[in-house]
Amino acid sequence: MSISSSDTPSTYFTILYFAAASDITKKRSETLTAPVHVSQLFTLLDKKYPGLKDKVLCSSAITVNLEYVDVDESMSDEEGLVIKAGDEVAIIPPVSSG
Amino acid sequence: MNDGVPDDVKNEIFAALRFGDGEVERKGGREWPLSGDEYRRYGRQLIMPEVGLAGQMKLKNASVLIVGVGGLGCPAAAYLAGAGVGTIGLVDADDVEVSNLHRQILHGTAKVGMSKVESAVLYINGLNDEVQCIPHHERIFPENALGIISQYDVVLDCTDTPASRYLISDSCVLLRKPLVSASALRTEGQLMVLNNPPRPAGDVHGGPCYRCIFPKPPPAASVVTCGEGGILGPVVGTMGVLQSLEALKVIIATSSEEDTPMELDEIDAQQQQQQQRKKADPPNLLLFSSFSKPMFRSIRLRSRRADCAACSAQASVTVESLNSGSLDYVQFCGVSSPVAALQPSERISVKSFAQLIADSEQEVHFGRPLAAPPVVLDVREKVQFDLCSLKGSINIPYSVISSTDPSATGPSATWVDELRRIPLDQALYIICRLGNDSQLTVKRFRELALDEGGRRRIVDVAGGLKAWRDKVDRDFPEY
Repeated sequence: MSISSSDTPSTYFTILYFAAASDITKKRSETLTAPVHVSQLFTLLDKKYPGLKDKVLCSSAITVNLEYVDVDESMSDEEGLVIKAGDEVAIIPPVSSG
Repeated sequence: MNDGVPDDVKNEIFAALRFGDGEVERKGGREWPLSGDEYRRYGRQLIMPEVGLAGQMKLKNASVLIVGVGGLGCPAAAYLAGAGVGTIGLVDADDVEVSNLHRQILHGTAKVGMSKVESAVLYINGLNDEVQCIPHHERIFPENALGIISQYDVVLDCTDTPASRYLISDSCVLLRKPLVSASALRTEGQLMVLNNPPRPAGDVHGGPCYRCIFPKPPPAASVVTCGEGGILGPVVGTMGVLQSLEALKVIIATSSEEDTPMELDEIDAQQQQQQQRKKADPPNLLLFSSFSKPMFRSIRLRSRRADCAACSAQASVTVESLNSGSLDYVQFCGVSSPVAALQPSERISVKSFAQLIADSEQEVHFGRPLAAPPVVLDVREKVQFDLCSLKGSINIPYSVISSTDPSATGPSATWVDELRRIPLDQALYIICRLGNDSQLTVKRFRELALDEGGRRRIVDVAGGLKAWRDKVDRDFPEY
């Protein structure tokens, strides 16, 4: 499966699902319509995958273009981070087993 | 020098004495910082500028703690021992099981039943007798964490629960130890170097801790272990090997200034600038996703969280709170809610269930079949069902059942419709691997009205296929 952002249509961003996030979405990646404010991302995904917010998103690390973003901090920040077309977002739940 | 002692005896004595930074082996009047054996053993890494003699001496004088001697800890311990880390501590309370062997490379078939730490010490001693091993045959708890971790320079978290991950991270912050944290499940792995540099709580120049990256633990019900989810040997092996690499880098990069902090007035402006640069260089989270392209992604992490419970100026995690037991890590991470209590009439023991099947296999009783064959629904995932299953059982994976919303309107799922077509006087017997998902299924079937208002019995086979194997059929495969 190719998940390089070069295939992404010009109005979409790519979202990658790791570990528990891919278990629930049953996907490793997909494309979603841009732009989306980071603070809106959880609501949008929870609507698409009921329960995802509580089960996965609240405890996950969220990255945009390979950079960790703090969703709580961007909630209070109106300027905040906007996910643009062509961006790559990743949902990274903590994995504890070994 | 003629002192009446033969040269070969002297060499042996000196070889036995070589320890520590300042002591050297003396031969032919020349003094060497490492023994001849050590030069030969570590030659291939000594000639690399990244290591060199100075790096090797740091490794020799370093002590590393490996918490968890499993899929991560085994390869990590092997490479650290091979590289000549002077002291390796190993923490694990478990014994070697045959299901460990596909990935836990220090243990072997002959060591099944032996404690993992003992097995690891045997392996390490066989690989490199220059390494001193310290076994800690116990699980890590708030009560013993600080006592164990304080004896070491660098810590590797190779454990397998969220609670131990937070505990080890908190302890490393309190004791100012760098932490190399890795994990793996199924086809994926994660690696981070945390609390590096290990500055005191509240010092923004210190590296972030586990709580900075994952402030909220995952809900207990969503935590999957390798026993439940599976793990591929080379995946967890890769993460363990990378952990040993990061530990070597941390040790070799350690400067003597880090050990003995200078007085403030000794630090000139230039060094302060260097410190500023350190702050501007947050660590990475390496993501390994072995069935995706690319396989590796490196995420730039954040610096310390200003409100972190462990490493910020307002930290609530203290030595006192840890020692007093007021920090309950198991509670913080939540306990998987005990499975829904079922009525006795909704459960059947494996023995009674076996009798039921035997009765249905008796062809006639006074000219009539004694009982119709029971409808057995196996709710394990398909891949497990394909490994082994009860004769005539039907597979509906729990993941399908749990994702079917009882409150949804519109046409019901195909599998629900098919179950409704089964005559009402036929009970549905639900079985799974251990007897947990089967109980949840009984509850969910009621919510989906598959009991038809109580007219159809839905029965949990208590203890699942594990109990079936233990009490009914010893030949049923265990996996």
